[in-house]
Amino acid sequence: MPAEIQAKKQATTALRDVEERDPFYLKIRDLVYQACGIYHSEEKLYLLAGACKRRMPASRVTGARPYFELLANPATRVIELRELLNEITIGETCLFRSPPQLNALQNVILPELIATRSKLGLHKLRIWSAGCSTGEESYTLAMFLLEQGEKLLKGWTFEIMATDLNDRSIEAAKAGVYGTYALRNTTDLYRRKYFVAAEGEKLRVIDAVKARISFSRLNLNDDSKMLFMKGLDLIFCCNVLIYFDVPSKRRVVQHFFSSLTPPGYFFLGHAESLYQVTDEFRLVHLPGATMYLKPAAAAEGKTKA
Amino acid sequence: MTVISAIPELRKRVEKLRSLPSSPAILQPLLKLLRKPPEEIAIGEVVALVSYEKTIAAQLLRIANSPLYGRAVPTESIQGAVFALGIQRIKEILLSNCFNKLVPKNKWAVDPSVFWRHSFGCALVCGELANRIEYRDKDQAYLAGLLHDLGIVVNSLTYTEEYREVLARAAADGRPLEEQEAESLGFTHCESGGILAKTWQLPAAIVEVIEWHHAIEKGPVENPLIAIVHLGDLLCRVRGLGYGYEEWRAIDLPADAAWTTLAKHFPKLQSMDLARFTMDLDAYVIGITKLVDAIFSPPKS
Repeated sequence: MPAEIQAKKQATTALRDVEERDPFYLKIRDLVYQACGIYHSEEKLYLLAGACKRRMPASRVTGARPYFELLANPATRVIELRELLNEITIGETCLFRSPPQLNALQNVILPELIATRSKLGLHKLRIWSAGCSTGEESYTLAMFLLEQGEKLLKGWTFEIMATDLNDRSIEAAKAGVYGTYALRNTTDLYRRKYFVAAEGEKLRVIDAVKARISFSRLNLNDDSKMLFMKGLDLIFCCNVLIYFDVPSKRRVVQHFFSSLTPPGYFFLGHAESLYQVTDEFRLVHLPGATMYLKPAAAAEGKTKA
Repeated sequence: MTVISAIPELRKRVEKLRSLPSSPAILQPLLKLLRKPPEEIAIGEVVALVSYEKTIAAQLLRIANSPLYGRAVPTESIQGAVFALGIQRIKEILLSNCFNKLVPKNKWAVDPSVFWRHSFGCALVCGELANRIEYRDKDQAYLAGLLHDLGIVVNSLTYTEEYREVLARAAADGRPLEEQEAESLGFTHCESGGILAKTWQLPAAIVEVIEWHHAIEKGPVENPLIAIVHLGDLLCRVRGLGYGYEEWRAIDLPADAAWTTLAKHFPKLQSMDLARFTMDLDAYVIGITKLVDAIFSPPKS
């Protein structure tokens, strides 16, 4: 009966609302934001509450308040925060995860880069996927840019450097085999053009795409290696910095800033923020997406006034 | 450019609007209500205003009982509807009702639900922004955001067909509406809105917002509401509460003249967490879309 279903639906939403209104979820939200820079606005609070609830059995607590206390307690905080962040970001990776980001690239950022780099006699884009995990973001960018090869990027080449700390992730990324969940946002056009069938319902990225990406292991905390990353146009670092404490985050972001040729853009995960990490990058808005800009006039190594 | 010659003709057309038979009698008392902070408004005041017209009362009940607001027990009194929806939403419903009466359906050049999503969104953002930077009158900022695009209503009424064309062109090129207006019509919704706002004797500070929110460098510097609305409007337009299409440009708010001017008098702006503010805005979008959907959902037969 539709009326009954409707009533039931209302009841469950109401129940969910009551649970999430628990002020301790707000406290957890603020704690996670301050410690990691990942933010859950009101409409996303249920995701945070869900992640907390999934952690509760393993942490042997029930309810928002004791779970908050676990996160607030210096003895348990570091480990529990890391576990919680894993829960928060689980299932976040898929190909073509952020269409607004790709639209922003196509309509504004690439045209701007092409115009400014052409003046310098450059015809190659250099992109870094820092913390590439199992390669979804890197392949998305490669396929998207290949599609632009006859349009915006006619006469241009590009290379993508994809790095991660985890060897196993790098191996999986190199294999480039994805299941239906990771491919849920991938259109038929891309499936036909850039994939071949693999075991079961899985698809494998074709070699022509793989050839545009170099996957390698890199620790973002390794200052000497970080200094080698130069002359980049775009840097993507999605859901990686959330695991860093504020001083290391500052250091890594400073490296990113130096690596970019201005005007250059730095992209974070959709719920991440650089608030109080740096004021050198400028947060810019494009329809449905935000990113950080290293402006053309920015002088390097500028100290805070 | 035809900019100069377009204005006297525009003025004549707007003057004529005053004598429209449907000129909203409810507008003045409603504006008085809109300017008050919700906690200072007595329920009786709202009920009196709502009872002004049968259609408004009926609409409020319909929205309060709509499945979007998911009430278990339907309310049958206006008082119940006011409690269910809250003063803020009632204000918004009343204002949109008033304008929807003023502008016949076939005269809306812009989709009215798009227009109200933008206006309600901007009002909310301006109120929140005022709050964060500690501007003294949050409710005035809210009202300024709500009414800033009065000129779009004027343009719809006075230049319906041409204005449809202007909107279609701006949408096709992903271009800011005010630029397309200036090019195609010779004036923008700021100018046309300003003329009507003065005719209606809206508060001076609000008239200034309507006139200068797209040209803050020319407006009076002592009115911070203009900068607040300018920024709120930009933010709404990049977060899905624009004019129904995407504008393809990068918005660098801290580099905007309005930001710099505002920060001089309200230092809190410089330390504001803009990323978090933007993410919170996305949560408002959901609430606003729900309200506008409820306003425009057809009544059950």
